[in-house]
Amino acid sequence: MNDRLERTQLYDWHKEHGDVIPFAGWEMPVRYTDIREEHMAVRDSVGVFDVSHMLRLWIEGPDSVNFLQTVTTNNVSKLDINGGQYSTCTNENGGIFDDLMLYRIGETEFIWVTNAANGAKIWAHLQKQAEAFDVKVTDRSKDVAMIAVQGPKALALLSKMSGRDMSEFDRFTCNPLTIVGYDTYLCRTGYTGEAGAEILVLNCPFTEDGKENAIGFWEELLSQGAEFDIKPCGLGARDSLRLEAGFVLYGHELNEETSPIEARIPYAVKFKVEPHYFGYDTVQNHKKEGVKKTRIGFALIDRGIPREEYPILFNGSKIGMTTSGGLSPILNKGIGMGYVPPDTVNDGDIIEIDIKGRHRRAEVTKWPFYDTEKYGETRTS
Amino acid sequence: MGDTEIRDDLKYSAEHEWVRIEGDIAVIGITDHAQNALHEITFVEISEVGTVLKANDECGLVESMKASSDIFTPIAGEIIEVNTVLEDAPETINEDCYGAGWMFKIKPSNLEADLAALMDGAGYKAFIESE
Repeated sequence: MNDRLERTQLYDWHKEHGDVIPFAGWEMPVRYTDIREEHMAVRDSVGVFDVSHMLRLWIEGPDSVNFLQTVTTNNVSKLDINGGQYSTCTNENGGIFDDLMLYRIGETEFIWVTNAANGAKIWAHLQKQAEAFDVKVTDRSKDVAMIAVQGPKALALLSKMSGRDMSEFDRFTCNPLTIVGYDTYLCRTGYTGEAGAEILVLNCPFTEDGKENAIGFWEELLSQGAEFDIKPCGLGARDSLRLEAGFVLYGHELNEETSPIEARIPYAVKFKVEPHYFGYDTVQNHKKEGVKKTRIGFALIDRGIPREEYPILFNGSKIGMTTSGGLSPILNKGIGMGYVPPDTVNDGDIIEIDIKGRHRRAEVTKWPFYDTEKYGETRTS
Repeated sequence: MGDTEIRDDLKYSAEHEWVRIEGDIAVIGITDHAQNALHEITFVEISEVGTVLKANDECGLVESMKASSDIFTPIAGEIIEVNTVLEDAPETINEDCYGAGWMFKIKPSNLEADLAALMDGAGYKAFIESE
């Protein structure tokens, strides 16, 4: 009954070692041991995630820059070769089709990495828009695996494995790199708040050899990472880590009715760039004239765990809805995000979350939810 | 999931709760299969003592790192005790779901009919295998 679900190149390993569940049309490991243990491995040492379910597109051709400028909101022309940028793909109303990482690997060659759940939609959108340009979009998800290595020890591990000092590679860069004999693109990015990389492992088609290549690289990370207490991590920890870092997730904080300005991801958006992207005027209006809703973060004061689509109350009145929630293993309390009208609440205000009829107090807070002196990429201790 | 523990002296609901009759009281918890599927349980909340429920009424929730699940009572009656250990140690359900991890006690109002609607151990085993 599961034969319509997709699998990554690493599926056989996950099935043997983890708890594999259906996720966004894929069979993916939600955990290998405990979600909290995996979460803390990434905050304290290093964890690895198979993120090969994400869509990886190669975009090339003489018009690639202009094409990408019409379908994404960041400034593509400003991207250096081997540079990367976080961006969004918007519709005509400035709502978000998807958020993505865009890497430039040549003068007219780019890699677009995007959400599994939006794969078919984005593929269709880009194919249609590409008709007007001299550009080719190729889906290489099925011959490139993608593995995230995240945590305060991640870069030390990758330096050891590649023989290259990771401090050579700035955040957001994407460089071809051979790591213990495996050809990869090393993208200095992640979705946990910690330092690390997302590694595109080339030569991983869905053949016996291709799968062996992906699993071989994964096992090499685990064995060489043993001295750093590395742990394989499932999608459960991936979600709790991104929530604790205050990162948006498509289908939760982002959707086609929400602009990047409302989502408070202004770094994904540039203005005065030509040609204009879809929804440019609306997004610019939101920036200049203001928005009707805005994203907030909150931490529970009372006991209880917030989840998505719970009412948010302030002074007894409903002001919005939550979009994500869960337990923060660092704070050991419920945290979440949601949308409310602008200027209704400020950091430090006490709101209430209606958890299935029980009103629980929460404090409006900034993200990341953890202490940035102790955790995260910019930690000082 | 081959090592799921099912006890023959309990009755089971399709919502993965178990019922044990102790004198004229029904003790209710969630099954080994349920706690294993939820894994790391982080929070439990049960309706207050004194709440009167019909069979299959929602009467609380269990949170795990994975998801939020509602709790339903398979037995109608009045809640006479809630396991307060779970307030500070919800993981007790993961450790001992049929013992120290019990959730609440009901003074039944329609026991015979409610029990008749539940599965025995063999029935529950077949049920989870078919799911």
